Amino acid sequence: MGLREVLTPFTVWKRVFDEPVTIKDPIGRPGADRYRGFHQNDMDKCIGCGTCETICQNAAIDMVPIEGVEPEKGDSGLRPQIDYGRCCWCALCVDVCMTGSLTMSNEYTWVDTDPDKFRFIPGIDGDWKDDVAGYEREGQRVLSGVERIHMEEMEPEARICNFDEIVAGYTREEAVLEADRCVECGLCVATCPAHMSIPDYIAAVRDQDYDRGLQLLYETNPFSEVCGRVCTHKCESSCAALHEGDPIAIRWLKRHIIDEVPFDRRIELIGQPVEPNGRKVAIIGAGPAGLTAAFDLARAGTSVVVYEALEHAGGMMRYGIPEYRLPYDALDRDIGVIQAMGVEIKTSCRVGRDVMMEDLQRENDAVVLAIGLHMGRSTRVPGTDGPGVEKAVDLLRRITDGEEVPVPEQLVVIGGGNVAMDIARSMARLQKAKYGEVGITLTALEDIDHFLADPEEVVESREEGVEIFDARGPQEVMRDASGAVTGLRTWRVKSIFDAEGRFAPAYDESDERVHAGTMVIEAIGQAADTSLLGEALTEALEWNRGRIRIDDAFRTSEPWLFAAGDAVKGPDVITAVADGHRVARTVMEEFSARQVMQ
Amino acid sequence: MRDIHARLKQRHHLGQFERQRPGLAFFTVPREYLRGLLLDLRDKEGFSHLVLLTAVDWMEEGLFQLTYMLNNRAEDVTFGIRVMLDRDEAEGDSIHDLWPTAETYQRELKEMFGINFPGSPRIDDEFILEGWTDLPPYRRDFDSLAYSQQTYAERPGRVTHDPREHMKQKLYPDGV
Amino acid sequence: MFSFKPDRSQYPAAGEDGKLEIDLETGKYLKLWQGPNHPGITGNMSVELTVCGDEVVKGTTHVGYLHRGFEKLMERRTFIQVFPIVCRVCVPEPDFNEYCYAAAVEDLAGIEVPEYADWMRTLILEMGRFNSYMMFLGGIGGALGLGITGQWMTYLRDIMLDRFEELTGARIYHMFILPGGVRGHLPEGFEGRMEEVLDTAERYLADIDRVMFSNSVFKTRTQGVGYIDPALFEPYGVTGPNARAGGVAKDLRKDSPYLVYDQLDFDVVTHTDSDIWARSNVRRQDVQVSIDLIRQILRKMPKTGPAMAKIPNVLHWKIPRGETYIRGECSRGEYGYYLVSDGSGYPRRINVRGPSYTHAMALLEHMIPGTNISDVAALMVSLHTYPPEIER
Repeated sequence: MGLREVLTPFTVWKRVFDEPVTIKDPIGRPGADRYRGFHQNDMDKCIGCGTCETICQNAAIDMVPIEGVEPEKGDSGLRPQIDYGRCCWCALCVDVCMTGSLTMSNEYTWVDTDPDKFRFIPGIDGDWKDDVAGYEREGQRVLSGVERIHMEEMEPEARICNFDEIVAGYTREEAVLEADRCVECGLCVATCPAHMSIPDYIAAVRDQDYDRGLQLLYETNPFSEVCGRVCTHKCESSCAALHEGDPIAIRWLKRHIIDEVPFDRRIELIGQPVEPNGRKVAIIGAGPAGLTAAFDLARAGTSVVVYEALEHAGGMMRYGIPEYRLPYDALDRDIGVIQAMGVEIKTSCRVGRDVMMEDLQRENDAVVLAIGLHMGRSTRVPGTDGPGVEKAVDLLRRITDGEEVPVPEQLVVIGGGNVAMDIARSMARLQKAKYGEVGITLTALEDIDHFLADPEEVVESREEGVEIFDARGPQEVMRDASGAVTGLRTWRVKSIFDAEGRFAPAYDESDERVHAGTMVIEAIGQAADTSLLGEALTEALEWNRGRIRIDDAFRTSEPWLFAAGDAVKGPDVITAVADGHRVARTVMEEFSARQVMQ
Repeated sequence: MRDIHARLKQRHHLGQFERQRPGLAFFTVPREYLRGLLLDLRDKEGFSHLVLLTAVDWMEEGLFQLTYMLNNRAEDVTFGIRVMLDRDEAEGDSIHDLWPTAETYQRELKEMFGINFPGSPRIDDEFILEGWTDLPPYRRDFDSLAYSQQTYAERPGRVTHDPREHMKQKLYPDGV
Repeated sequence: MFSFKPDRSQYPAAGEDGKLEIDLETGKYLKLWQGPNHPGITGNMSVELTVCGDEVVKGTTHVGYLHRGFEKLMERRTFIQVFPIVCRVCVPEPDFNEYCYAAAVEDLAGIEVPEYADWMRTLILEMGRFNSYMMFLGGIGGALGLGITGQWMTYLRDIMLDRFEELTGARIYHMFILPGGVRGHLPEGFEGRMEEVLDTAERYLADIDRVMFSNSVFKTRTQGVGYIDPALFEPYGVTGPNARAGGVAKDLRKDSPYLVYDQLDFDVVTHTDSDIWARSNVRRQDVQVSIDLIRQILRKMPKTGPAMAKIPNVLHWKIPRGETYIRGECSRGEYGYYLVSDGSGYPRRINVRGPSYTHAMALLEHMIPGTNISDVAALMVSLHTYPPEIER
């Protein structure tokens, strides 16, 4: 130790002349660009899924209703409220947010004397709500899966020459991975017409508990095997995951559960109906609405007979949907479970011919009408009368029945819905078998972005060689001198609806085309065949624009008669199932009411 | 790593060798063989660094697991040695004479899990908690949430809604 | 010139069993509480001193002032929900908790972290180490009455916190190292701003060398004081700079390279004296190592690349049954996380191994007898204790 060590420390006195390093006015110093400050929420983007609440380890977030934000499809109407007495600014809520609506500003000073002010709703409260700087998650969502697990499907070349099922179905590993992506917000449940407990059965897949999954399915849908294949899956269009990525493959997961449970085990799990209650119900039509109602009524102890005009039960599920989408044995298993509940189905038994409506009314406590839409509509453009012009539903029915149908080398389909795709793809398969190639032109009023058919149907139709012309209005079926069909003349559609929203297509007459073909198939909609009602009943019933009028609970104006399904509502299997449940409930309520009166 | 285990296996009745990754493995030893094993590892095999000593509560199986984490610094090898204790009469053997620092761990285990180490210095002194009368708090059957709810008052005024239920109430209250 | 050696031979008397006899009634002894709020105490803990004159005859450490039961709280949270609370186990150097926890989860779940994230984690850990040493250098000065070092070091820490803020979005609890990777990439121009900080730091540290390490008062009060016999290192679990100051060239960054330390060039700093002076010197030199490492990392790290590995949906994340231990060399020694999973969505047990646990409890109590009251603060600070990691 020397004198140097006494003096050296004093050399730092030079710093006396340094500028101070402290920030003169720290209030108002902006946080860094990524600073995790007070929350912001884009109220229009937020869907109220509550994932932020789920992940918050401080239990700082509540989902609360907001004035002016109503629940609607894919939006719960709730918005997060954050308790800043608990928040730790970890921003997991921002990272997990399904839409990216929740972010943070770089604002970090907030003084208030009222502690309740610090429970605030980002997006409504706070001066910083529109600030640009602040924490946002970098890139896409990483805390839950963004991409759907690929579903194995047959290649177009392999599937076009047969009616084999296209979709392979998930393996267990794939299903678990797909189920893992679900955040269990439950926004889909409101959208599903049958309000199936979607998050719960997806959780069952994750847990590999297929027995529980199956029981959950049967609580709301006796056609889960059918719906697992052909459901229009509106639920997936309100899935929280679709905002940044693919929606969860809800339909395929449903199918996966069914695929994993053997038929006998299904019946075992559902259990037997309750004791007979002595009531009798006749149901007309063995489609999804009628059979669902039959299932519910039978399980409640009612004796049910279903009358079906065609040779097999299933309605449009069998006679409308082609086999490559829904194999008949899958449908048969769903129907088999319903029959196992004691439901009697009388096939090839047409009401009005083989059995009379009056008899049904007399012998039963109630009659449910679920006759569907089996009469194809026509465009009624010139040339539609006569040979060579067919209705799609008629052809599909004949194909299902195994009948020989005419298969020309080149044909034209009119229509842009799922039925049009079904007939086009069915005919394509027959053409392929007969000629080795496909020659189908499909024209539709809508432009391609507004097609009524499912997008995957459009994609797959094209893959199979169907040539699609969108926004074309049919004007005339062309015929040669002998009367044989030679093609379809169309104009380009300018608009489909008029200013008042009525159907009134406007055309650009200068843009005319003739689509060659020796057959024209119309697939523009169907109507119900109500001739079975007989004159007196038709007269007695109230009608609404060609359909039997029903109330919210599916009662007709006749106290003993109820109606459900496509014939009164539509448009798809899952809606028919929902209707079936509802009408069954109404019938049972009616019975209870009658009991009280007696 | 594996050969040390093989060498000591017979003498100390070691359980199965579970390799977690290069340089880290776990195995179980009966309580009565622990001390001999630790001595062998410390004095003959170079495991002179006691990394940590802690417990895991396997309440459902009625067991406490003591984990002695030992490290050989020269070889960069760590062993997690498990000793399973009966949860109802939780008592371990003090190793404070092998590693004086073990005294602190053992005091903490006594306080937080209720595992006694007879002979360990100041074993009954309070470590972190003062005047604690409830169950030892790190036992699984001590419910910290219930405790905090009983002890502290929640400021009222918070209510949350489940999205699915809320939508049902608003959009289809009668279920259809 | 400044040497002063009191005669400490007569107190206290040893009893027949060799234990100290301290009878407060004699009036010879006084009980003195240093802490829990005391400028010479690092954080909230206290040492119960029994003094005889100005000499300490017995010291008992008391902790628990910061006990929040983190390990228990973690058992009640899903694996992702543990992430925001681990950093709170250690205020001045929180990132080690984040790294160890994330790496433990990744080890059990079998997740491979992208290269970019490994570099980023190393950068964060070195920045945290720098900050921790700032606290130390300020603290050791403060404990010996040298106030200016505390002010300068706080300033340096503050401008490093600015870098933390722009990189991670927070100053103290960064919550940046997620299981699976890190939350983001370097902001534009970060390297340049970091270089300014390091440059400033080097200038201030040069002044620290003048004002502290070339200061006869500091030397006198630290050299030969608070000696730890290297033979005690293993029995008392001494690691890190405390052991390196006693000639043990052990540094997990070198001996058991984790993250990208095997791709970095640095030396392990050691000293031979094992006293407060040696420990302070080792840390002073280690700051320079950190500064050089930060420069190296910024130069060598990839410019782009994914920051996160693909992880399952965290809301249902279940970690396979098993146990693991992850450790790293923090500014105070071996930091580790022992994670036990029972296969559910919640950890069965997490045990945090903080170096202060072994340094400030049994070891400190062993060292205190015989020191002067005025040296206790420096002794404590020289062990670099952060109490929250003792009581978790």
